[in-house]
Amino acid sequence: MSTRPLHAVESLAGDLRAWLPAQRWFAAKGTDLTDVFVERAVMLADGDPALVHALIDADGERYQLLIGVRDDPPEHLHHCVIGRLGESYAYDATQDGELMAGLLALLDAGADHGGIHWTKEPDVELVTGLRARPIGVEQSNTSIVFGYHYILKLFRRPGPRPNRDVELHRALHRVGSAQIADPIAVVEDDELVFGFAQRYLADAAEGWATATASVRDLLAEGDLHAGEVGGDFAGESSRLGMAVAQVHADLAATMGTEVVSPDRLTEAVEVMHGRLDAVTAEVPELAEFEPMLRAAFDAVRHLRESQPIQQIHGDLHLGQVLRTATGWVLIDFEGEPAALATDRAKTRSPLRDVAGMLRSFDYAAFALLGADDDHQRTTRATEWSDRNRASFCEGYASVAGADPRDQAVLLRAFELDKAVYEVAYEHRNRPDWVRVPLTALRRT
Amino acid sequence: MTVHDATAPDAALGLEGIPHTGEALTADGHLTEPQAEDFKHARTVPQDLLWYKSAVFYEVLCRAFNDSDGNGTGDLRGLADKLDYIQWLGVDCLWLPPFYASPLRDGGYDISDFRAVLPEFGTVDDFVYLLDQAHQRGIRVITDLVLNHTSDAHPWFQESRQHPDGPYGDYYVWSDSDEAYSDARIIFVDTETSNWTYDPVRGQFYWHRFFSHQPDLNYENPEVAEAMLDVLRFWLDIGIDGFRLDAVPYLFEEEGTNCENLPRTHEFLKQCRKVVDDEYPGRVLLAEANQWPADVVEYFGDPDKGGDECHMAFHFPLMPRSFMAVRRESRFPISEILAQTPSIPDGAQWGIFLRNHDELTLEMVTDEERDYMYAEYAKDPRMKANIGIRRRLAPLLDNDSNQMELFTAMLLSLPGSPVLYYGDEIGMGDNIWLGDRDAVRTPMQWSLDRNAGFSRCDPARLYLPAIADPVYGYQAVNVEAQMNNTSSLLHWTRRMLQVRKEHPAFGLGDFTELGSSNPSVLAYLRRHLSPGAPEDLVICVNNLSRFPQPVELNLSDHAGWVPVELTGGVRFPPIGELPYLLTLPGHGFYWFQLTPEEGEGP
Ligand SMILES: Nc1ncnc2c1ncn2[C@@H]1O[C@H](COP(=O)(O)OP(=O)(O)OP(=O)(O)O)[C@@H](O)[C@H]1O
Ligand SMILES: [Mg+2]
Repeated sequence: MSTRPLHAVESLAGDLRAWLPAQRWFAAKGTDLTDVFVERAVMLADGDPALVHALIDADGERYQLLIGVRDDPPEHLHHCVIGRLGESYAYDATQDGELMAGLLALLDAGADHGGIHWTKEPDVELVTGLRARPIGVEQSNTSIVFGYHYILKLFRRPGPRPNRDVELHRALHRVGSAQIADPIAVVEDDELVFGFAQRYLADAAEGWATATASVRDLLAEGDLHAGEVGGDFAGESSRLGMAVAQVHADLAATMGTEVVSPDRLTEAVEVMHGRLDAVTAEVPELAEFEPMLRAAFDAVRHLRESQPIQQIHGDLHLGQVLRTATGWVLIDFEGEPAALATDRAKTRSPLRDVAGMLRSFDYAAFALLGADDDHQRTTRATEWSDRNRASFCEGYASVAGADPRDQAVLLRAFELDKAVYEVAYEHRNRPDWVRVPLTALRRT
Repeated sequence: MTVHDATAPDAALGLEGIPHTGEALTADGHLTEPQAEDFKHARTVPQDLLWYKSAVFYEVLCRAFNDSDGNGTGDLRGLADKLDYIQWLGVDCLWLPPFYASPLRDGGYDISDFRAVLPEFGTVDDFVYLLDQAHQRGIRVITDLVLNHTSDAHPWFQESRQHPDGPYGDYYVWSDSDEAYSDARIIFVDTETSNWTYDPVRGQFYWHRFFSHQPDLNYENPEVAEAMLDVLRFWLDIGIDGFRLDAVPYLFEEEGTNCENLPRTHEFLKQCRKVVDDEYPGRVLLAEANQWPADVVEYFGDPDKGGDECHMAFHFPLMPRSFMAVRRESRFPISEILAQTPSIPDGAQWGIFLRNHDELTLEMVTDEERDYMYAEYAKDPRMKANIGIRRRLAPLLDNDSNQMELFTAMLLSLPGSPVLYYGDEIGMGDNIWLGDRDAVRTPMQWSLDRNAGFSRCDPARLYLPAIADPVYGYQAVNVEAQMNNTSSLLHWTRRMLQVRKEHPAFGLGDFTELGSSNPSVLAYLRRHLSPGAPEDLVICVNNLSRFPQPVELNLSDHAGWVPVELTGGVRFPPIGELPYLLTLPGHGFYWFQLTPEEGEGP
């Protein structure tokens, strides 16, 4: 590549204005981009192909891009071309296996390019020379898989150090947790975290796919109950509950736990009411549930027991757990996507994770149902949800020593708060799905 | 000297006029025993030391296969008459459950003379004939041998109880009290209350791990070990290709232990193996030890020596897990057990099976899983037996041909040598109204002639009635009809055995599970490298769900290679950098060979 990387990327600014909003990971969807600045650009590999690491400021939001430059990109890269650079083409390099394979070499070498540090975790011996491929699932970041060995998540919107996903993984790894994918390496500069590599669990399937396979089996049956069909998921739900409880215990053991007086919950209650105010203003269908919701939130104010708080997963649902041949694994400890980094870092009640998972079982149960489904199918889905939520809690209790359902008032408030959040999210992003949280509210 | 009184050691055998143990006694009180030299020996099959690693086994009950003399019970000559069928099917080795002289109080596993054949099955000469004819067709034969105990009718036991000071006085485990070895569990809790039984003749207790009519041999006595090695030699000299060693964990006892898997038991197995290796190379020992794979691997012996105990051992948990995986539409019950299966010595091989003459054993699953399996596969309480389910493959799978094919395809492609059960190749049914485990031991269904073509006898004389219900009865399900129909399960099974034979990867290759984001799809790679031959790479993809499923496989390590479907030879699109997308019909499966793209490479 003949020009300096910064100039090259700057000359792409116009193309980027069109290209960025079309990306799945672009935050401010549906809005027009006005200003695109290049904060920084570093050459990671020169020649043809070349690889440039760039930080872009798009209307005040920072994005990480890996830009490939080739004179004659092969056909499978045509769909990700950003624009032209003289005689060459600039494209999204995360789709280019050849260039991405080079990242593993950078990690192995402990490279330092223009202030970006590629650092292995202590005691990690890397297998090198592996093929690289993008993972190819819809996600808010971009992940690259190396052979059957490693997965590198490139944060599209890199945040400041320390990164919660990295820190929690390290803490859990220190206590030998079997419920995580081991941390392998980190890409960062002195201020920001760009990437996090973990062991790739090649045999894994997502919890969501595993659960919905079971629901599909039940709905095809018609006259059998959830506990009677071959695809019964209760055993898995229970094992999942055990895994989540174990992660909570490990997080408490390594990062500490604290018992707080019940009045500390008032703050949380205010947040719930605040969210409800905002969402009812936006989604009128929510109004009919308002009295029930407010009463459930306020019930928390009357709790007299102190509550343990600690580091938790923070965004737990069936899409954040993987079933492997040796058991369940939790991934993506970045925390609640909507929260501010400072709030994400806070310690919280582990019941929030439980609530998240319980809501997710409900989602899985109703995901396959259409808007016009009959009573029979709705009854089956409800059964599936009830059965698996109960099994999850039983499994959790068998490890934690206490059943989350014993904290009925708090658990219910957390769950309803989550449902309110879901109503807002679905209303904005997937209007067809609003019925799932609304149906759940109707049932309570 | 010939003895004919009731206390004669051979009195309980019922083998007058047939060579047997204890026909005479030597001057020093030893029983004379038939010797291999007294019989003709079968001609041998071409030498191949590792044949068992890629062989397909076929378990056939002599009683149930073919009746040559019209007495209602199958026999060795009858079985020999059907060898052409077995050869046509493509089976490499027959496994015959015990055909020795026996009072038949435990299905022939209660052996009363190791050197004589049960008269209703024929004679040693008939066995030699069967073996010789099988070998002529390239088919090997192994049989069960029970090392741990004999029937109480065995002349050894009769001598032992009557002459405590005679040469057999120490052949069994005798004691004045019933207190020793109290940590050993009682296996048949339904019928036995103790592992000791009092013998009024000798006035002492004898030890038995199984039924009280099956006294345990005393391996502490070196003469017993030597006598049992001679039993092995007797059949190996005649030409048999190996033994399935029944109930191996229990040979030795030791105070303060559970008397299972003791080091000295392993030492004796090493001795057996040495006899085989030194004197009869190419014959095999197959261990039956119903335990977790991590414990069973002990029976392969020292991995540094490539294994120096049994060549093969059964993998028990894989079978119930396969049924569970399909019912759950999830690969994890299988993935999990394979992940927990340790690697085995170079010379060793697993024996894997879907069904056999015993019930579908559920000892290797958790209580929760057992309840689940009962609920799913044994809806009627009569379908249960001991800790298992007494059903054949077809009725277990609701006679669904897609599922039968899927299960068979997995059996033939997962790591291990597959063991088919007679009749499953035509989808035979069971009769749960018959007692004990007889439900799955009914006559082989050859044709729609009388008695399913199994016997010319009066139907009332049959050892068990042939299945006659409208779905599985012999009028609907029989070999002749399926032979004439090339789209039958029988032809399909034969074709699959042929394909398996063409690819060393199935028997000899290593195994790598290929994950995918679809939990209902089980995919794996079998790969065999041998010097001088091209690498054999086979990919197997199984849809465990009844619904059609897509799957994306990460095959980019083989970018540029072309998958060729193995049953039809159809070339699929070449593998590229992107995940390889396949769609499978409900309960569908694919076997592919990966071949380098045409014009490229070797
Ligand atoms: N260690 C791993 N092994 C195998 N697959 C993994 C691993 N980590 C992540 N994945 C897969 O990659 C997907 C995305 O991972 P992750 O949730 O960490 O990224 P993300 O960008 O935060 O995604 P999302 O926006 O969906 O939360 C997961 O759903 C999972 O299928
Ligand atoms: Mg014994």
